[in-house]
Amino acid sequence: MTTSPERCCKCVLSSSFPTIAFDENGVCSFCRDEMHMPTEAATIERAQERIVELFESERGQAEYDAIMCYSGGKDSTYTLMTAVKKYNLKVLAFTLDNGFTSPAAFENIRRICDELGVDQITFAPSAKFFKPLIKVSALEEVYSPKTLVRISAICNSCISVVNNSALKLALEKEVPFILAGFTLGQIPANGIVYKNNYHFFRESREVYLERLRDSLGHAVDDYFCIKDSLLNKTKAFPYNVNLLCVEDPTEAEMFQVIAQIGWVSPRDVDGCSSNCRLNGFNNFIHQKNFRYSPYELELSHLIRKGKITREEALQKLSDTLQPEVITAIMKELAFSEEEIKAIGR
Amino acid sequence: MAENIKGKFLDFIARNFMVEIDEIPLDESLIDEGIIDSFGLIEIASFIESEFGILVKEEQMTRSNFGSVHLIVDFVKGQES
Repeated sequence: MTTSPERCCKCVLSSSFPTIAFDENGVCSFCRDEMHMPTEAATIERAQERIVELFESERGQAEYDAIMCYSGGKDSTYTLMTAVKKYNLKVLAFTLDNGFTSPAAFENIRRICDELGVDQITFAPSAKFFKPLIKVSALEEVYSPKTLVRISAICNSCISVVNNSALKLALEKEVPFILAGFTLGQIPANGIVYKNNYHFFRESREVYLERLRDSLGHAVDDYFCIKDSLLNKTKAFPYNVNLLCVEDPTEAEMFQVIAQIGWVSPRDVDGCSSNCRLNGFNNFIHQKNFRYSPYELELSHLIRKGKITREEALQKLSDTLQPEVITAIMKELAFSEEEIKAIGR
Repeated sequence: MAENIKGKFLDFIARNFMVEIDEIPLDESLIDEGIIDSFGLIEIASFIESEFGILVKEEQMTRSNFGSVHLIVDFVKGQES
């Protein structure tokens, strides 16, 4: 009788990952599928052509060509640099401060924006709303578990506020593009460039918005939705573009290039983040709930594409927060020991 | 032809959203049933474009076209004919 390995021997997917199966050599079904599937190269090439066409047709029409969702992390720094230097876009960098942004990330944001000559604004939602949002996201089933294979519930809430705030800004300033630093693995190849269809998205989010309203009240609408007064004035919705997916550098190349424009790696974050002190806590909660890290899919994709080694990926996954840091975050967010213990039971 | 479209679509859903094919509801909303989130709709629209050569227009992304697997298959069939 053979037993299932703890992880795939080629990538880093755990045996608890949804729908995974292993062959007799310990290779997972996702790695085997990859070997038999046509490459996503054609999809990426189409996206690249579309991005160039769209940038050519829209550049210079508005106060800014693009709003960049800029966390100060390595991926969004590389993306911002590419947008400015390679695509010659006039970018407004937009940062959401969730209260846990590493001070070193803010220093990076200041240095990089100065170096690239980019305007930057920060939006810090009230902690009176945001801290309970984090807690509700961690403790209640706001999102369907099947939609959390690539992302933790807390990150999902935070990124939803980022996306909505960036869209609001783009609509107010009539900016044609919203850029983000997602990599392939975080998003699939067929989500690299798309027109933001707010009305349909809003309708499709109503199930989880209602769950959030039940716990947090109608303040949810201020952070997750766009007001009708702005929508009624809107002539066109922006395109969301994930530039990093078509650039596709290795992680080592990225670190080398952004270091040249002043980016420094923060020391107070976990191995899977380069800007957010909360990320390691989010992973801790996700791991308790689902028995795998929300970064396994992305890291496994990067391994298969030769962008990082399996050893580097394992190092990231094992670089977790120290227990005393977890305890400090629990205290800051008013989690009780009992609430944490009950997760995943 | 519809069965072929449905088969390709179910295979795409299973592969991309880590569900078993027999877990996928055919007449209910994939969002309401918790299979996909709103970003999943973007992926589905892009899949329709790459697999069937149909560009989904903004005004076509409605619940009446994307509200279930069967509705999506009908939409693709309608666009192909």
